[in-house]
Amino acid sequence: MNGGLFLEVGQAQCPKKGERVCGDAFRSRKLPAENRIVSVLSDGLGSGLKANVLATMTAVMGIRFISADAQILPSAEIMMEALPICKIRRISYATFTIIDCRMESQTRILELDNPQFVLIRDGEPFPVAYHELVSPKHRDRVLRVYEFETRPEDRIVTFSDGISQAGLGTDRHHLGWKREGVAGFLRRRIADSPAISAQCLSEQLLDEGLRQEADGRAGDDMTAVVLYFRRPRRLLVLSGPPYEKGRDAEYARLINEFPGRKAICGGTTANIVARELHRDIETILDSGNITLPAYSRMAGADLVTEGILTLTRTAQILEGDVRAGEKNAATAMVGLFHESDQIDFVIGTRINEAHQDPTLPIDLEIRRNIIKRIAAALRDHWLKEVTLRFI
Amino acid sequence: MKKIIIRICSGTTCFVMGAAELQTLVEHLPPALKERVDIQLSHCLGLCNDRNFSRAPFVTIDGEPMGEATIPGIIARLEALADRNA
Repeated sequence: MNGGLFLEVGQAQCPKKGERVCGDAFRSRKLPAENRIVSVLSDGLGSGLKANVLATMTAVMGIRFISADAQILPSAEIMMEALPICKIRRISYATFTIIDCRMESQTRILELDNPQFVLIRDGEPFPVAYHELVSPKHRDRVLRVYEFETRPEDRIVTFSDGISQAGLGTDRHHLGWKREGVAGFLRRRIADSPAISAQCLSEQLLDEGLRQEADGRAGDDMTAVVLYFRRPRRLLVLSGPPYEKGRDAEYARLINEFPGRKAICGGTTANIVARELHRDIETILDSGNITLPAYSRMAGADLVTEGILTLTRTAQILEGDVRAGEKNAATAMVGLFHESDQIDFVIGTRINEAHQDPTLPIDLEIRRNIIKRIAAALRDHWLKEVTLRFI
Repeated sequence: MKKIIIRICSGTTCFVMGAAELQTLVEHLPPALKERVDIQLSHCLGLCNDRNFSRAPFVTIDGEPMGEATIPGIIARLEALADRNA
């Protein structure tokens, strides 16, 4: 992103106890042409499926209006009027927090009845001024509008009231954990690990929220969202031998020259790098199982895996096919992707004849196709910056 | 006594052609052999090159390549080696 900054978006959610669906919704959309990311957190009235539908409608509308630069107040009015009205509270529900980050200029945040977000700057909660907007049609609903410049290493943390009201009525928190409790936790956590990723921090905030509850279970839907403005973490992925054998040395040197983390996916690829750079490959005995080959270590590389089978499973995980407790070369690869903002693939295009053998018991996907699938998932679903280069 | 070193190739071709099962070799070894061998997984050994791939999966036993490796086949080879070294 512009100015060498990257915005990592992390979120973690837990439904209210007894519910299978979370009544909060979170959506994010990247607008690459404008160097901008719009995110919306919405809390639907009540809990369960109905709340989830209301919250999702709100989040989707919020993203559409703000991305299109629609005026704030009329947009908020349309959103409130589109939602059903609660018979008890006589308000249309849901709440929202809209975060509109333009990397080249200001960040704007709009809050309607959600807890106030926390800006962490230089490791401390930092107060941000706001002004209020009130629609003549909905005088009971006050919209808070914040506009401020973000700086490198800033974190914007927002959450549903399930988090700030965690532990409500317990001896420890008569009035709940409150925003102050959340801010204090964030300060301590970031002091302990200043480079903690947005995803990791959001998960830990959710866990800490659950710990405030008397029985450790969510009294209300809980969502924690962290936006982290950081210098991009780069990852190089080498996969496949170069089409021309004469380019092996040039290909292997990329490992030495790249300023970031490096992964090698493919047995032949690893052998080329090991041969050209005179390095040893050591396979980790316990890292394989019946479905995926073990991964290896090599000096100068953060991960060395088998190719097609591992990449295929990696694509499935990134596309949402997650299995609890899975730990193998593909999950290690996914971990590297999560920790990186900018991912450069260099794909060797020499065909592996062995993979075309008709007697193989399974069809092996062509490397180029599977990496294109991974790249699409990283871009569209995980909002990563991805480049592909074929050699 | 020096252990016999078995390396099981974990390259894609070997893996899908049977090396995945070969990883369970240790569970099938007769007790007498268990103490005498050291089983290692390896990244691609490169032995399927040169149009040799129909012989996957490959292992090496003390550096000696063995194609079309199966658990009974490896055990037979290990027993022969162990007898020779006894």
